Amino acid sequence: MKKCFLSIASLALYCAVVTLSASGALALNYPNKPIRIIVPFSPGGPNDIRARLVAEKLTESWKQQVIVDNRPGADGAIGMELAAKAAPDGYTIVLSPSGSLIVTPSLYTKLRYDPVRDFAPITQLTNSAIIMMVNPALPVRSVKELIALAKAKPGQLNYATPSSPFYLVGEMFKVRAGVDIAYIPYKGSAPSMTALISGEVAVMFDTPLMSLPHVKAGRARAIAICSPKRSAAMADVPTMTEGGLPGFEAGVFSVVLAPAKTPPEIVQKLNVEIVRILHMPAVQHRLTSIGDDIVGSKPAELSAHIKAELEKYAKVIKAAGIPRIE
Amino acid sequence: MTDIIHNLTLGFGVALKPLYLLYCLLGCLLGTLVGVLPGIGALATIAMLLPVTFNLPPEAALIMLAGIYYGAQYGGSTTSILVNIPGEVASVVTCIEGYQMARQGRAGPALGIAALGSFFAGSVATFIIVLFGPPLTEVALRFGQAEYFSLMLLGLVGAVVLAHGSLLKAFAMVFLGLLFGLVGTDIYTGITRYNFGMRELFDGIGFVPPAIGLFGFAEIIANMELKETVNVFTTKVQKLMPTREDFQASWKAILRGTAVGSFLGILPGGGALLSSFVAYTVEKKLAVDPSRFGKGAIEGVAGPEAANNAGAQTSFIPMLTLGIPGNAVMALMVGAMMIQGITPGPRVMIERPELFWGLIASMWVGNLMLVVLNLPMIGIWTRLLTIPYRFLFPAILLFCCIGTYSVNNSTFDVLMAVGFGLLGYLFRKLDCEPAPLILGFILGPMMEENLRRTMLLSRGDPTVFLTRPISLGILLVAVFLLLLTVLPVIRRTRGVVFKE
Repeated sequence: MKKCFLSIASLALYCAVVTLSASGALALNYPNKPIRIIVPFSPGGPNDIRARLVAEKLTESWKQQVIVDNRPGADGAIGMELAAKAAPDGYTIVLSPSGSLIVTPSLYTKLRYDPVRDFAPITQLTNSAIIMMVNPALPVRSVKELIALAKAKPGQLNYATPSSPFYLVGEMFKVRAGVDIAYIPYKGSAPSMTALISGEVAVMFDTPLMSLPHVKAGRARAIAICSPKRSAAMADVPTMTEGGLPGFEAGVFSVVLAPAKTPPEIVQKLNVEIVRILHMPAVQHRLTSIGDDIVGSKPAELSAHIKAELEKYAKVIKAAGIPRIE
Repeated sequence: MTDIIHNLTLGFGVALKPLYLLYCLLGCLLGTLVGVLPGIGALATIAMLLPVTFNLPPEAALIMLAGIYYGAQYGGSTTSILVNIPGEVASVVTCIEGYQMARQGRAGPALGIAALGSFFAGSVATFIIVLFGPPLTEVALRFGQAEYFSLMLLGLVGAVVLAHGSLLKAFAMVFLGLLFGLVGTDIYTGITRYNFGMRELFDGIGFVPPAIGLFGFAEIIANMELKETVNVFTTKVQKLMPTREDFQASWKAILRGTAVGSFLGILPGGGALLSSFVAYTVEKKLAVDPSRFGKGAIEGVAGPEAANNAGAQTSFIPMLTLGIPGNAVMALMVGAMMIQGITPGPRVMIERPELFWGLIASMWVGNLMLVVLNLPMIGIWTRLLTIPYRFLFPAILLFCCIGTYSVNNSTFDVLMAVGFGLLGYLFRKLDCEPAPLILGFILGPMMEENLRRTMLLSRGDPTVFLTRPISLGILLVAVFLLLLTVLPVIRRTRGVVFKE
C-alpha cells in the first residue's frame, strides 16, 4: 500500500516537473541548444556584418552556438516570413533592416508577414541618418535654394535613390516642401551615386556611409541631414530643421526581432545580452566604422518606434498618392 | 615616367612581402577552387570571408579578396572546358568552343591557352590600370542610361551571331531568353511578373539554375543516350600543352580579346559581362573559316578568355579611382576597405599609396601565381576526364546540386535547375542552342531597366538614343552587325528560290 502510494506520488511529481519545465521555466534553461539568427539578405551586406558580430559575441558569452542563416530574396520578405512563422521558443530570431520591416509592408498589400502582429521586438541595434545631396554643378547650396530651384522648374529636376526606403524619404520631402521632382529608381548605392556624379540626376538621398567619400572628394554636395542633430562625421551639413523643414527626420535602422509568441522572459534575456554586446568597445568600433549610430533600446521602446515609423510612412504614401502594390 | 616606376617599386615592395604573398596564394587557391565548383562563385566566397578580413591588415585583406576574384575567373574556365558548365556569366562563351575541344581530346591545349591568354590579358590590364586609370574613369562616366541600353542591344545582336545553326532558331532562343528574364519584379512599379504567386521567383530566376540546367544537366542527359561503348571524351588525349599551331592561331585573338575586355571592363554595371561575348563575336566575324566555330575553334577560347580576365582587372578601375564599385564583387571590396576604415576614392592613391600600388602589383603577382598553379593542374584535370563517364557524371551532378543550393540556401533553385535541364535536353533534340538564350536572359532585364530609366530621364522622348553621340555610334555598329549576319542568309534563300 505504502509502495503503491509512493510510486503514484513520484509519478505525479515527475509529471508536474515535466509540465513546469515545458512552459515558463523554459527561460531558466535558455539557451540550451544552438540559436539561429535569420538575415534576410545575402552575406557581406551591412546587416550580415551586424548579425555576425552579434552572433560571435553571443556565442562567446552564452557558450552556445549562435549561427547566421542568410535567406535572401524579395527585398527581405522571404527571410522575414520565415522568421514570423518560426517556432516561438527563442531559438530563432531575425536581424532586419527598417526597409524590410517598415517600408516593404507599407508599400505592398499582400505580404505574408505583419510587422506588428507577427514579431516580438527585442531591440533596435543601430540607426543611420539619411543625407540629401545634389550634383555640385547645380547652383544650390542649401535646402532653401533647392526648393526655390525646384519651384522654378517644376517637373524638370530628377532625384535618384538606391532603394525603396530612400524613395519614401524623397516623397516625404516633396510633400513637405511642396515641390515636383521626378523619381528615378536605381538598384543600389553605386549606380545612383554614379548618376548623381555624372549629372544624370540632380538630387540623391543615401546614408552617410555610402556617400561620405564622394562628398569629401567634392563629387557630391551634401545639403542636409535628416536627423535632429548634426552628425560628427559631417559637421558642416545642416539638419533639415535648420534648412527650413522642422521635424523632418528619417533614417534607416536595424532591429532584432523574435516571432510574436516568444515568451517575454526569453525576449528580456536576449535584450539584456544584446544591449550589453552593443556597448562593448570592440563592437562599437566595428559598427561605427560601417556608419552606424548605436541604439540598444528596450523592447517596449522599439515597439513604439516601429508603430511611429509605420504611421509616418502611411501618411507620406497617402499624401504623395503612391499606389500600394498587390 | 619616373613617378610610375617609383610607384610600381613601392607596390611590388609591398606585394612581394612574404606575408602578403601568402595571402595572395591563399586567395588564388580559394578562388580557383570556388571557380571550379559549379554554382558558388567569387561573390559568395568574398562575402563569406569579409568578416575574417576584419582582423587582417588592410593590404592582406584586399590582396586576398582580389585573389579570390580573379582566381574564380581561372577556375570558371576549367569547368566550362571540362564539363560544359559555366562557372559564371562570362564563362558561357568558353563552354561553346572549349568543351568541344575537350571532347576531341584537346582539353589540355584549351586549358593551356585559356590560362596563358588570361595571364597575358591580366598583365596588360594591370598596366592599363597603372597608366590610364583616372582618365579612363572619365570616359566611363560619359556612359549614361541611353548608352548602356544601346550597348546591351549590341550585345543582343551579338547573341544571334553566337549561334552557328539556323538564324531563325537563334533569334527564337534570344527572345525566349528575354521572356525568361521578365520573370520577377518590375523595378519601377514593384509589380511582380510571371512569378505565379511563388515568393521564390520574386527576384527573378537567377543566373545559376538556367546555366547549370541548360548547359550542365542537359549535357549529362544527352550523354546518357549514347551507347555504352562510346566514351564521352576520347580517351586518346593528345598533347597536354598548346602546340605551336595553337599559339599561331590564338595570338591575334588574345590581343583583340585583351583590347575588348580592357575597355568594356571599365564601364560600371555590365561592362565586364559583355567582354567575352563581344570578343567571341569579333573572332567569329574575323575568322578565315567561320564554320570551324562551334566545333572546337581555339580562337573561340583564347579571345573570350583574354577578354574576360582583362575585364575583371579593369573593373577595379572605377572602384580604385572613384570609389564607385562596378559590380557586386567590387561593392564588397569597397565594404572591406570601409571596414578597415579606408574610404575608397581618389584620396586613397595619395593617403595610402602602399595600399593602392600594393594591390595593383599583387594583381600581376596573382595572375602569375594562377598560371603557375593551373598549368601543371592541366595534367590532373585531363586525367580526371579519363574516368569512365558512369562514375564521373554522378559526381558532377552532386557538385552542381550542392553549388546551386548554396547560392540562396534554397532547394527551389535546385528544382529549377532540373527543370532547365529537361528543357535543355529538349532544345538539343530540336537543334537549338542555349548560349543565345542565356545571353538574352541576362541582357533582357538590363536592357529593360536602362530603357525605362532613359525614358524617365528624357520624359518619354525616344530620340535621345540617336541624339547622344556615343549611343548613336553603338546603335550603328549594332545595325551593321545585324545586317552582316542577316544579309548572307537572305541572299542564300533568294538564290535557292531563283534556282527553282
